[in-house]
Amino acid sequence: MSTILSDELLSELMAVGQVDVLVGLPTLNHSDSVGPVVRAAHVAFNRELARERTALVNVDGGSTDGTPDIVRDASIVDRETLVASQSLRTGHRISAPYHGVPGKASALRTVFAAADLLQARAVVVLDPEIASVTAESVVALVRPALAGEADFASPAYARHPLDGPLVTQVVRPLFRAAYGLPLQEPLAGEFGCSGRFASRCLDEPVWESDDLRLAIDLWISGMAAGDGLRVSEVGLGPRRLTARPRPAVAALVPQVLDALFTSLRLHEARWTSLTRGSLPLRRSTRPASLPEPGTTVDAEAYAALFGEGLAALGPMLERVLPSSILDALRAAAAPAGSVRLPDELWAAVLLELAASHRHATISRDHLVRAAVPLYLGRVASFAAEVEGLDPEAADERLEALCRNFERSRGDLVARWTAPAR
Amino acid sequence: MPDDLWYKDAIFYELHVKAYSDGDGNGMGDFPGLLTRLEHLKGLGIDCVWLLPMYPSPFRDDGYDISDYCAIHPKYGTLEDFRAFLGAAHERGLRVITELVINHTSDQHPWFKEARSSRESPKRGYYVWSDTDDRYRGVRIIFRDAEMSNWAWDPVSKTYYWHRFFSHQPDLNFDNPAVREEIWRVMRFWLELGVDGFRVDAVPYLVEREGTSCENLPETHEVMRELRRLMDAEFPGRLLLAEANMWPEEVRPYFGDGDQFHMAFHFPLMPRMFMALRLEDRKPLVEIVERTPAIPSSCQWGLFLRNHDELTLEMVTDAERDYMYGEYAKDPVARLNLGIRRRLAPLLDGDRRRIELMNALLLSLPGSPFLYYGDEIGMGDNVYLGDRNGVRTPMQWTGGWNGGFSTADPERLYQPLISNPVYGYQAVNVESQRRQETSLLNWTRRIIEVRRSTRVFGRGSIEFLNPVNHRVLAYVRTLGSERVLVVNNLSGTAQAVELDLAGLAGAIPIEMFGRSLFPRIRERPYVMTLGPYDFFWFKLRWL
Amino acid sequence: MAEAILTTLRDTWSGYVEGLRLVIPRLLAMLSVVAAGWVIAALARAVTGRALGWLRVGRLAERTGTAELLRKAELPPAERLFASAVFWVLFLGFLLAGLDALGFETLAALRSEVGLLVPRLVGALAILAVGLVLANVVWRVVLLAAVNSGWPSARLAGGAAHLLTVTVAAAMALDHVGFARPIVLIAFSLVVGAVMLALAIAVGVGSGPLVRRLLEERLARHGRSESDGSSHL
Repeated sequence: MSTILSDELLSELMAVGQVDVLVGLPTLNHSDSVGPVVRAAHVAFNRELARERTALVNVDGGSTDGTPDIVRDASIVDRETLVASQSLRTGHRISAPYHGVPGKASALRTVFAAADLLQARAVVVLDPEIASVTAESVVALVRPALAGEADFASPAYARHPLDGPLVTQVVRPLFRAAYGLPLQEPLAGEFGCSGRFASRCLDEPVWESDDLRLAIDLWISGMAAGDGLRVSEVGLGPRRLTARPRPAVAALVPQVLDALFTSLRLHEARWTSLTRGSLPLRRSTRPASLPEPGTTVDAEAYAALFGEGLAALGPMLERVLPSSILDALRAAAAPAGSVRLPDELWAAVLLELAASHRHATISRDHLVRAAVPLYLGRVASFAAEVEGLDPEAADERLEALCRNFERSRGDLVARWTAPAR
Repeated sequence: MPDDLWYKDAIFYELHVKAYSDGDGNGMGDFPGLLTRLEHLKGLGIDCVWLLPMYPSPFRDDGYDISDYCAIHPKYGTLEDFRAFLGAAHERGLRVITELVINHTSDQHPWFKEARSSRESPKRGYYVWSDTDDRYRGVRIIFRDAEMSNWAWDPVSKTYYWHRFFSHQPDLNFDNPAVREEIWRVMRFWLELGVDGFRVDAVPYLVEREGTSCENLPETHEVMRELRRLMDAEFPGRLLLAEANMWPEEVRPYFGDGDQFHMAFHFPLMPRMFMALRLEDRKPLVEIVERTPAIPSSCQWGLFLRNHDELTLEMVTDAERDYMYGEYAKDPVARLNLGIRRRLAPLLDGDRRRIELMNALLLSLPGSPFLYYGDEIGMGDNVYLGDRNGVRTPMQWTGGWNGGFSTADPERLYQPLISNPVYGYQAVNVESQRRQETSLLNWTRRIIEVRRSTRVFGRGSIEFLNPVNHRVLAYVRTLGSERVLVVNNLSGTAQAVELDLAGLAGAIPIEMFGRSLFPRIRERPYVMTLGPYDFFWFKLRWL
Repeated sequence: MAEAILTTLRDTWSGYVEGLRLVIPRLLAMLSVVAAGWVIAALARAVTGRALGWLRVGRLAERTGTAELLRKAELPPAERLFASAVFWVLFLGFLLAGLDALGFETLAALRSEVGLLVPRLVGALAILAVGLVLANVVWRVVLLAAVNSGWPSARLAGGAAHLLTVTVAAAMALDHVGFARPIVLIAFSLVVGAVMLALAIAVGVGSGPLVRRLLEERLARHGRSESDGSSHL
């Protein structure tokens, strides 16, 4: 029988014993960014969680750049924090390899197994690619579960409405339509949860599935919609990612769409049978929108790519979208150079794409790649729509988009569960 | 959905109504008093209460001589009081089983009075009569300290009547269909009131045949099969529990094909638990469990350490009996009827560690455990009270007036309280132990809680590991994919043991009380160390 | 004379009858083999069709675009086509075996030739089928990559890739059969060379500066940030 926990990790866990707070940190060659994350956790343990039994568990996928050594050696560097930090207990910091196919899914499974064995009351999973992790953000994610108020704590970042359109235009609204859970960041790489939530995730039978490797972050967020779980959202500041090269838009959009649709497939029994409306969320103060966007949207270029893509990929898109939607998209593309893709049409497009992905009407890989121009068109349309509006008004538009998707939930379930065309 | 196999997971608690709590201040426990103590039972984690006989009786055998099957003894209250108690118990999720003493009645029972009045009486055939005492020659006498023969002379009808127990307890004649009908009417009466089942007393002796031991006859099984069928048809999910003090293979027929008794006590296991502890050797215990035959999947063994009777040494060899007398009843006054009439704590010298270990065995061996009232606080006994009354003293609730049992004058109590400095009510009582986190009461509550966290103890199989160190008793309980490893140190000194757990390689043992992690099991022998009388329950997880 | 005629006639007819006496059993044998072959081939077609349906080959054909191609060529769906192919291959084999039963040497020679040709023909068809499927996949992959990279004339790029793949597959199939090898080789080289030349001319000569400017404008418009999609998250 294959094991989740390596002997090395198990013997370290034995020495730790029962904990109140477990911080999980999956890494793979993150020597450039993991140090500050570990220090943030360390400060959180020593300052805000001085009475709690804590452990930092770094599960590493086989780094060759010395990441585990950095995890073990990272310490508080400034004297002021050092003096102010007084933990009453022995701190535990573990770094060990995990078993299974390298990837976040195997890493998280190991973290959940550790949390389950150590009977952790609260678990926080941190992302070494987020440069804006602070001790305060760690504590903010821990508190809801530690106080027994929530089973899942999702971050909410301060954003400008034009930032992160993959999240605001695609992931957030479709996630909300499916699960009835109004999370700002379903795709966040960091979150907090209760030991109970971790055990529940661990018991799911999907861990060996290849699909989970693609969709782990969204799958975790989808688990939060499970029966009897309380969900909260925690306001953190702006999110900064580390300066690592990331895939280009043309590769990123298919990746995210694939993950989103795959996670819906993994959870289909759960969300297609939901009868309740939107789940209430405990929210800390929602962070205010940033006054300026992080990057400018080249609406004209996106509109052009939308039009060209629609024309070139017509035969392919005919296989996945009904003619009425396709015609509406073509109409949205004229006049050339601009695009008006209203919320209802965008919801219909995403629903059809999701259902086609489910039924594999065409190759799933081709489907998500064919969606790139459509996504760019939507981004251009939204940018034009909110031009001149203040961030709060633009946020209202995003909320309206999500409500629109919620209203389309019935169609989503119907298309999802109908036989393939 | 009601679980018809509830008894496989249940924790049973045996109590005597007269001894538990006095509600009306007359010095004897009763149903109103018992009702006020249900929270204690619920808090302890009990699932089912077994009441000793509460019927009208001349009390020459502590209520086992019944003179009216369908009433409540006035000293215990009324039928309404019983109904109120039963309702309150059910509201708290507690089941209640009562005694069904069908082998014999009191000689004061109207049936017997009528039967003896004339040979032509319609009730004559309810009992077993003979003009001579030659019949059924050679059948053993059960109460050999009190009786010389199984026949008693009736001066009224000038014949002999058959009795396997006391002479004032004439045996009913189960060859008579009318008797079986009467018994079913009695059962129906109580089942309709809502009782959840019966502990059937002295079941092996129901039928007699010339040239046999008059025990365990096929006709007896027929009777029980019939009663079971009638009960299941009208009252499914109720329990029949057999008291058959026999070897396991002799008890096996009482389960039938799952169509007779649901449960039966495992009498031979109990003395061997005490023996294994004293010998510091697992051999007697392992042997008797391995000798125990498989029973139908719907059936269950009842395990116990002590009960209202003497610690019976019938189902042991003479050498084993001598050993037990020598170790546990050096004072002959403690011996009675091939047994020892002492409570658990005095038997174990009040040693908390041994008490805990014995309870751990009781709760982890295959079967459903029966706790005897008072053992959860380590009550003592009084061997000078005669018969088995020394283990039936009033329950000790507080250190105050009459130990909180009754508001009556102490002289009026049905029996004196235990009052010596070691086990007396001032030192050993529920109230004190409730307040003390490390008390035996709280420890018992916790171990029951741990046992209830899994069904493997009540429903799982058992496989003994037999390490070279004979002082260590280790076994694996398995139910489906769930596995629990139990390791017990039967000796009073620290022990090291190597366990062959290759078949469980890869598992992580998680100690069930504190959920501490132990090193992963590998192919090589697993070394463990245990303190005196120490034990571990490990849940095995593969992660 | 009359007797000679009668003798000749008698001899001829008896020879003829003798011939018939020899041929008819063989003819019957041939017919029985062919009939049995028809039944077996039909059974195999049915089983193959079922098996392919169970394996959802139709769905696969839809996803890879092969079904579309077959529809355009007014051919039956993939699983029926394949099942038919199985039928005809088996039936042809039984037919040849039946001809063999007639015992005619010329037919035997023909059967050998056909027997040698059929496997190669089947192989060539398989190569062509795989090539067509691959061409479709290549077309989609190139088209999507070109569209999503903002490449000018994405359709042209996809079409060229499709044509190239089909050409290679056809050439390989014809070569496998051994049909007019030199001509096939020359024609293939000409086609590929022409496509490559046209593309080179389009990119490097004549409208080269125009194409270059277009590309630069496109790339500049995307900006460096588009090489890093993190702003979209």
